[in-house]
Amino acid sequence: MPTRKPADQSAAVYRIHPAAFWISLFVGLLLQVSLPLKIPLARLFDFPLILTVYFALVRRSKVFGIALGTGLGLVQDALSHGLIGMFGIAKGLVGYLAASASLKFDMEQLGARYVLTGVLVAVHRLLVVGLQNILFESAPPFVPLDLASAVIVNVALALICYQVLDRFRQPA
Amino acid sequence: MQAFVGRHASFFILAAVVLVQLIFLGYQVTRKHNVRLIQMWAAAVFDPFERSLHGLTNATAGAWTSFHDLSEAERENQRLRDELAHAQAQILLLSEDGTENAHLRELLNLQRQIPYRTVAATVIAASPGTSSVITIDKGSKNGLTTDRPAITSDGILGKTVAVFPHTAQVLMITDRASGVGALLEKNGSEGVLKGDGDGLCQLDYILNENQVSPGELVVTSGLDQIYPKGLLVGRVESVRKGDIYKAIAVRPAAALDRLENVLVILQSSDSEKPAKQPHKRQ
Repeated sequence: MPTRKPADQSAAVYRIHPAAFWISLFVGLLLQVSLPLKIPLARLFDFPLILTVYFALVRRSKVFGIALGTGLGLVQDALSHGLIGMFGIAKGLVGYLAASASLKFDMEQLGARYVLTGVLVAVHRLLVVGLQNILFESAPPFVPLDLASAVIVNVALALICYQVLDRFRQPA
Repeated sequence: MQAFVGRHASFFILAAVVLVQLIFLGYQVTRKHNVRLIQMWAAAVFDPFERSLHGLTNATAGAWTSFHDLSEAERENQRLRDELAHAQAQILLLSEDGTENAHLRELLNLQRQIPYRTVAATVIAASPGTSSVITIDKGSKNGLTTDRPAITSDGILGKTVAVFPHTAQVLMITDRASGVGALLEKNGSEGVLKGDGDGLCQLDYILNENQVSPGELVVTSGLDQIYPKGLLVGRVESVRKGDIYKAIAVRPAAALDRLENVLVILQSSDSEKPAKQPHKRQ
């Protein structure tokens, strides 16, 4: 569980090398659209979401989290040939929440980070389902099992991704 | 306010970003009949305001229409009042014309009935002083001379006292300076009629032993050589006994206070010939 930061403890802010940052985004999006073709289970993956959560936690900036989440979501929307904006909204909110959480809690602890990731994956999925219900007259039914599966799969994915990405971060 | 916005800048940015994307989503999604979702949202948001505004507009328009109608009705009312006043004035004029016509007709009848040469004249002025003198629009050019009797269809009026080329002044019988030879028609008692200067006349020289009663007719006697005999003068208003003579007040038969047209007798064809009862005896 994440622990509340003591008031006198300064928050650790990290920066990622721009090349690593942009490459990770590109690779994440590429994997998002290509892996489901090879691995059926990969349809549950959400690389842009994991990248959003990770960079928002590392940068500890709400505006950055919003911008990154929205940007990645919009690209994902564009690539999915769906409605432009649905993932943009959901990921923008997730980026904001992740950055807010990083400012309130100590997210350097791995457990806290993964718990938060799980929560945000669930929030993201619920937001998408909610938006679908608002936008479509016949929205796909909400299946809790799908939500649980997505949370588990993406937390597992985050275990790997965060370890890889941590290698590229440096204290700001 | 700025501090609040600055403190929650990221939240407002998030709200703006989400809002923009929601609008964009609404634009992309279409529902039945190809209606875009954003149109439905816009309608849902604006419909209550539009209905309220429509209702307000209708109410305002109704109020304005009512006010305008009221104002129009007020103007119409004023116009109708003006028309009514105009119509009443016309009726009054016509009525006056009718009255004048009747008077002229009576005067014409009188002119035909009496055996004297007469001139019809119109009263154009009254005396500005205390004397009972009127001015008529006929004068010496029309054959008038002084001491010519002026009469109306109701009775004698007076005599000419000053004659000018185109006008003449008539001294009415109610003037103190006026004197008319008169007699009581009932018993033939003769006297002299003088004005009291107050709208009435006094018939003098009627002895106390003569029976005189109010309402009795008084006519001209012809003895003054001015007024032909038999013209109606007036009616006895009141009778009192005096030392020798009765004090008899006579109310002139002619309406001296509203004279319009008169006849002036120029010359009698026979000064002794009595008038042929030209007056209505009431």
